[in-house]
Amino acid sequence: MLLFGLDLDYVAVVMLFCVGLYMLVAKSNLLKKLLGLNVMETAVFAFIVTAGMVEGGDPPIMVAGTSAPFASPIPHAMVLTGIVVAVSVTAVALALIVQIHAHFGTIEIDELKELP
Amino acid sequence: MRPWPLLLVLLVALPLVAGVATLPPHDAPDAPIHTQVGARYLERGVAETGMKNLVTAVLLNYRGFDTFIEVVVIFTALAAVLALPKGSAPVPKGSAPVPKGSAPVPKGSAPVPKGGPQAPEPAAGSAARAARAREEERPEVASDVPVSPVVRFVVRLLAPFIAMFAVAMLFRGHITPGGGFQAAAVFAAVFIALGLALGQARAARLVPVDWRPWLQGVAPLAFALVAWIGWRLTGAFLGYPSDDHTAQEAMGFVLEVAIAVGGGVILARVFLEMET
Amino acid sequence: MSDLFDIVMLALLIATAITVARARDLLAAVVIFSMYSLTMTLVWQHRGAPDVAMTEAAVGAGVTTVLFLITIARTTRREKP
Repeated sequence: MLLFGLDLDYVAVVMLFCVGLYMLVAKSNLLKKLLGLNVMETAVFAFIVTAGMVEGGDPPIMVAGTSAPFASPIPHAMVLTGIVVAVSVTAVALALIVQIHAHFGTIEIDELKELP
Repeated sequence: MRPWPLLLVLLVALPLVAGVATLPPHDAPDAPIHTQVGARYLERGVAETGMKNLVTAVLLNYRGFDTFIEVVVIFTALAAVLALPKGSAPVPKGSAPVPKGSAPVPKGSAPVPKGGPQAPEPAAGSAARAARAREEERPEVASDVPVSPVVRFVVRLLAPFIAMFAVAMLFRGHITPGGGFQAAAVFAAVFIALGLALGQARAARLVPVDWRPWLQGVAPLAFALVAWIGWRLTGAFLGYPSDDHTAQEAMGFVLEVAIAVGGGVILARVFLEMET
Repeated sequence: MSDLFDIVMLALLIATAITVARARDLLAAVVIFSMYSLTMTLVWQHRGAPDVAMTEAAVGAGVTTVLFLITIARTTRREKP
């Protein structure tokens, strides 16, 4: 769907990316930063999946009941890989946040900076 | 609100929108993404790999190296989570946060009495606030609250069906949507639900302690094994014999099961590690 | 019809993302983020990517949310203004 020559789907994905980026740089809370990183990741995945779709296309599964055109399978496989890596990153970051809270009693960057 | 984050976001957004404007429409069938190698996979993928779900075919066969490194990545993530010191003492009530220079609070050390080491005024104030906030949060720690019998019953009722769904997804992954990673995530979800409803001790018994190291590493190990077998059969690392469909299916099956079991156990272990 | 679905879902995605950014209560932020993931699942299913949608539903809306909730239980629920 086009609006002023811009593809709305892509623009929406860029907006999601920017919301995530804003959370990542502007928020002081580490958990909020991580949520922002996750929003950015999903935005990138959405961009890749959107790029791989075809108008009226079926999923790339060659069984009875599906017919050409098919969506491209490569973006899907890459995004699958990406999602699992994203959850790994999130798990490590959350474990670090728990440790930071246990040691310093806060997860606000502003307060962590003020520690002697 | 500080203005510089908004400025930075704007600076990033403008080139992104400008770049997006030059792309072909996202659903055009003649976009480069549909005319390059993707078209070849769609055309010959079933004949070459024997898998009807081409996402699985790309994941395990055409782009097998990617997936190999990926299972190593999640294994490394578990290693990183396990390497962090476990159960470090919480910051004692009312005391200042531990100064950065000093050694971290050792495990099991006696809590510093209230009004112990005094930090500069603002830090002490914030620490007190943090302590009060923690005090308010205490009752919400999952393990302190008895689980409602309704939740317990529903989880126990549904767990076998969800697990069965995961198994079905795993074994039909080559002809229907689904496959190793999806099954791994659903297995982990069942485990987490059981752990939250019935207590981790009972859930942890689902994975025998003796097997854990092997189960956690099973995905990279299986990939290495299959890669070696492919090397013996075809002369290429992680190569699939393109004319022998039985061997292809067996190799794909081993990888799928290994990813499902290894990924599920790793995610479950990360959950257990963070919960306790 | 398809366009309408797209517009509604994308608007919902942007609205939930902004709500996550604005929420002071971290528990609320995480729950809304779970909803964001589920909406993303629907969008991907609609775009012919059922494999990705399944993974996101199980990992993004399930496992990630639980890990975030555990972290909140072990740290703090309030974001300082």
